[in-house]
Amino acid sequence: MKSSYAYYPGCLASLSQKELDTSTRAIADKLGMTLVDIPGFTCCGAGDVHEARPEYYLHLNARILGQAEQLGQDTLMTICNVCTLNLRQANAKLQADPELLQRVNRNLKEVGAASYSGGVDVRHLLWEIAEGDGYEKLKQIAEKPLTGVKIAPFYGCQILRPSRLLGFEDPDRPQSLERIIEACGAEPVDYPSKIKCCGFPIVLARAEVALGELIQPLAEAKEAGADAMVTPCPLCHLSLDAWQGKASREADMEFDLPIFHLAQLVGAAAGLSYDELQFKRHIVKAYPVTDKIYQGV
Amino acid sequence: MQVTLKIERYNPESDESRQETFTVDVVEEATLLDVLDVIKDEVDGSLTYRKSCRMAVCGSCGMRMDGAAVLACKTPMRPVVEAGEVPVISPMGNLPVLKDLVVDMEPFWAKFRAIKPYLDDGGEEPPVKEWRIQQEELDRVMTEALCIQCGCCVSECNSMEADPDFLGPAALAKAARFVNDVRDRGGKSRLEIYNGPHGVWDCTRCYFCNQRCPKGVHPRDAIAKVGAAIYQEGMHSDGGARHAKVFVKSTHQTGYLLETHLVPETVGAVNAIKEIPFALRLARAGKVPNPLKPHKAKKLDEVRKLNKLIESQEQATLEAANAGPTRPPADPAQAKESE
Ligand code: SF4
Ligand code: SF4
Ligand code: SF4
Ligand code: SF4
Ligand code: FES
Repeated sequence: MKSSYAYYPGCLASLSQKELDTSTRAIADKLGMTLVDIPGFTCCGAGDVHEARPEYYLHLNARILGQAEQLGQDTLMTICNVCTLNLRQANAKLQADPELLQRVNRNLKEVGAASYSGGVDVRHLLWEIAEGDGYEKLKQIAEKPLTGVKIAPFYGCQILRPSRLLGFEDPDRPQSLERIIEACGAEPVDYPSKIKCCGFPIVLARAEVALGELIQPLAEAKEAGADAMVTPCPLCHLSLDAWQGKASREADMEFDLPIFHLAQLVGAAAGLSYDELQFKRHIVKAYPVTDKIYQGV
Repeated sequence: MQVTLKIERYNPESDESRQETFTVDVVEEATLLDVLDVIKDEVDGSLTYRKSCRMAVCGSCGMRMDGAAVLACKTPMRPVVEAGEVPVISPMGNLPVLKDLVVDMEPFWAKFRAIKPYLDDGGEEPPVKEWRIQQEELDRVMTEALCIQCGCCVSECNSMEADPDFLGPAALAKAARFVNDVRDRGGKSRLEIYNGPHGVWDCTRCYFCNQRCPKGVHPRDAIAKVGAAIYQEGMHSDGGARHAKVFVKSTHQTGYLLETHLVPETVGAVNAIKEIPFALRLARAGKVPNPLKPHKAKKLDEVRKLNKLIESQEQATLEAANAGPTRPPADPAQAKESE
């Protein structure tokens, strides 16, 4: 863990998933991480701009990396799977190809944006607290162990695959979320779909296909006895939480599975309140689990 | 070295499935395929699997080890043994099982045929015997040309699990190979095939295909290339392309995703009305940002200029690509001279 990061919340955590940004700032304080805001950051373009306009995507992300560099930070911290892959992929491309970097910088200069020398590393919050001194710090701040709470880890895709670009852990047998759940005093629940896709990127364009994908992890986690699920990605969260009702109707099953953002799980174990972590902003009511956590019922 | 495998067996005659454990002695360098060969030779001759080249070229030996598709001939067993593991070997996913580890590849080939896997030169006669292209032009399709049609990428494709008709990563990687071939004249009619209901916009970006491909084809990246070709041709009829359009527009207008535009502009206004109760639920939880007061990024003018600048560069590249291969002069004497 570093003592300071250029902090990239991405756009979803700045808009509809605001509770994630708030919770992240709250736990960063506890963990002793300084988060330096990036003034003038934009959306990373998600998989969409990446697909439709790959050159524009590359420049958008180079601009964000350049801004981080301008702040004097060598590490940019993300809290979203998709941002992580997008930024790391652009970064790897730029770092491997000096001619490309030069061309991109020429364009950035032409529009008056900060240039990028290639010196920033992109890391997800998950990785910073799943090992090393970050993990030790996490154990220290988790003073309110979530004893008896069963939590299903949901990784999502773009924090694991392709491992060539992400590479923090074995993409088929990840353990980082499990370790964090344990450090928070809760019990990790295992189920096969924890590394699969939630369907979010196509939830609007191909609703049926996406719901088919979303049902799997929800059904399996429920079956395995989970009280709640935790994810490191606000997009996974949106589909697991906001679309859960639709998945439930489609599958004709009652899931009622509260979905935690990673930062909310850590925050709850660190003694931050229901309000501070903004659990009320969830669609699936969190109180069956949060009551267990905060009142020990 | 002693290797133990748990193998998923299936007998089509009796329609019975079972898992069997085999332990055999093999040389240290043994691959998964070598181990299967020893089992077949020494223990159970009825064990059924495909193989041919033994060197990751023919694409026959795709199967799953602990749920992950691999080429058996490219998977060394020593690390597995050293880790003290007893892996489960099973047939690839998303394809019907015929017997033991053998799957029916027919649905896989049908999707290949569907994408028109051959060069369409528009019936034009090449100027000298053949269409000659430059090295850089070949480089544009080399990654996808590495495919050996093994099916490993299809095995764990999440969208294909949910929609068996999805053309899938292997066929669409082949599509990219033709879309980006300067000699190809398929143009929009070729792209229409990939823009269909089970085409590129069906891909959920789970990246299993990139993770699994043993030849570095990166099928998901290939699909993105086809998506880009469709999008930049101005073909925005599919919800997937319209979804992407909202993102592009968002970065331009506010720098952030215009979430409230996503639903109506992807599914259309009529379908969006059906989503009103859903939207109200989201709004009650504070999940719908005020569309009248959008949150705007600072230094937005930088991004707007960037968008326009890159757009003009993209157009220039597109025009150059559409101009076709560098045509060698028709006169052979002249051709000789220029060589
Ligand atoms: S991944 Fe999505 S939420 Fe995150 S910055 Fe990119 S577009 Fe915005
Ligand atoms: S699980 Fe869903 S939201 Fe999460 S990374 Fe995969 S596609 Fe994206
Ligand atoms: S893309 Fe890769 S995994 Fe898929 S069929 Fe071709 S070689 Fe096999
Ligand atoms: S990224 Fe797309 S094509 Fe590749 S495996 Fe996932 S859904 Fe299938
Ligand atoms: S036997 Fe040919 S690819 Fe494995």
